[in-house]
Amino acid sequence: MAEDKFDRGSALTVFKSDRHEDIMALVLSLVIALLVYVFI
Amino acid sequence: MVYTRRTVWPLVFGIIMVAYAYLVQSGAMGPVIKFLGTARSADEMRILGYCFGAVGIVAGLWQLLAPPKEGEGDYYLSTVGGVIFIMMVAFVVKWGLDPLMAQWGRAAQPTLGFNFASVMNLNYVVMGIIAGIIIVNVFKVPAWAENGVRLSRLGLKTGVILLGALYSLAELAHLGRLSIVLIGVFVLGSVGVVLWLGVRRNMPNSMTGVLAAGVGVCGVSAAVAVAPVVKAKSTEIAYTIGTILLFGVICMFLFPIVGKAMGMGFIQFGAWAGTGILNSAQVAGAALAFQPTGIETLKVAEIFNITRVLFLPIIVLWLAVWYVKREEGAEKVDLVQVVVGKFPIFVLGFILMFALSSTGIFAPAQHYQGSYFDNSDKAMTTKDKEGKPVSTLLGDKDLAALKAEADKVQRQDQKAALQRLIENKKLMSIDDDDTLRGVVNAKIMGKAANDVLTKAHRAVRHTAKKIAMFRDLIAWFFTFGLVGLGMQITMSSIKQAGGQPLVVGSIVGVIKAIGSLIVVWLLVAETI
Repeated sequence: MAEDKFDRGSALTVFKSDRHEDIMALVLSLVIALLVYVFI
Repeated sequence: MVYTRRTVWPLVFGIIMVAYAYLVQSGAMGPVIKFLGTARSADEMRILGYCFGAVGIVAGLWQLLAPPKEGEGDYYLSTVGGVIFIMMVAFVVKWGLDPLMAQWGRAAQPTLGFNFASVMNLNYVVMGIIAGIIIVNVFKVPAWAENGVRLSRLGLKTGVILLGALYSLAELAHLGRLSIVLIGVFVLGSVGVVLWLGVRRNMPNSMTGVLAAGVGVCGVSAAVAVAPVVKAKSTEIAYTIGTILLFGVICMFLFPIVGKAMGMGFIQFGAWAGTGILNSAQVAGAALAFQPTGIETLKVAEIFNITRVLFLPIIVLWLAVWYVKREEGAEKVDLVQVVVGKFPIFVLGFILMFALSSTGIFAPAQHYQGSYFDNSDKAMTTKDKEGKPVSTLLGDKDLAALKAEADKVQRQDQKAALQRLIENKKLMSIDDDDTLRGVVNAKIMGKAANDVLTKAHRAVRHTAKKIAMFRDLIAWFFTFGLVGLGMQITMSSIKQAGGQPLVVGSIVGVIKAIGSLIVVWLLVAETI
């Protein structure tokens, strides 16, 4: 996939930067952890 | 730029997923599930089939009917198609090809003399990546899925963060010192060798710097993090990433084969993969390929891998100084800003989850790799098929088997632990459990007695439900990420890795792989 196919992010990510991707992964993980803690 | 493509495929895939989940629920898939031996995954098939199917149908209808408009909604919602596409491939691989290959491997064993599926590690992880590579190079990723495929690294990072929940402070204290020393030596050594070789082979300083970070630290993210420090061009970053991915793919296939041939244990292989393989995703791939039915290897590999990432700030500083020295008149780089701005937050997320897990909110605080010791009367009772309570204390036959071979145990601590087990019909402490695991691993007694010791071990070791759920989720996040990763490995990116970076990267990669193999083989004891 060429990078010029996307006007944002890179060939490896939809996010503007690694930092954005990291924060999204962190938020997603914390939400999942909360759900596991409450429901399991 | 509009990302949403008008297509019927997400809707079709969503309907197929829901239909499959319904067929599993109704029992119509029973004969197939029985044939493939996937009954254990039936609940997973229903839940994931309905959930992703519903998402696929809703997103598919939206993608088919709503006129696409440029903007945030278009950009992010258009990724759903790619997620559904990857999950469809992951379902086929995990619930179809993986068990089928395992069946073929067993069936061909009498003829071939070995189980090719096991020897070649043809499990869902490897097949997922191969499926991704085949799709992107033979059929191409459909345009409507391309944006979503770029979410695969998010899946890998989320998996790594969640992995922190499986550890406790006690466990890190157990592995931490060794991993820091081992990783420190190999990270700093690799960076040093790449810098030396790069200069000797007249590679540009920026290329050498970014390759040193990629090969030394944690692959792609390290290369990207160090790039501004050494003023690397995008082509040089791409070359480094290509080299790391190509070498990592080879390692991912070779490491489990070598590990199995050498009879390595879970901790040994995890330490070797975490030290010797260049890229985080491929560390996970190799660990899961080595032990597809459990997660112990993956956890050890990730501990080593995460330790490696912690060296990033040191490497960033080192390369900045090296670059300034090499490039006369090079613009000075703000080191603090680079370190603060580029340190991967997902590593901090992993540490945060680890801290939460160490407090005991997911499992008893003393849990070790998700399992914990409990020999109370309540914990020593289980239920049979009819729901009646059954004691898991050792029976008379079990005790007789132990007594018959007790004389073979010579070490005082092992003798004492065995005596306590025989007297109480259950293991009395974590220390006794660990001591007698050593007796089993060393095969001091015969099979019958070892089976009893294993039974006693299982009776007092319990896996927390929350941790078990985390394990399943992590496996799926990694499957998702690795299938997507395969879809990003094009032949052109592999060709791009050719030339000097490939030569230098491979030389250092091989030195690191063999060096870490020797050190791990000599230093890391098997304790699981």
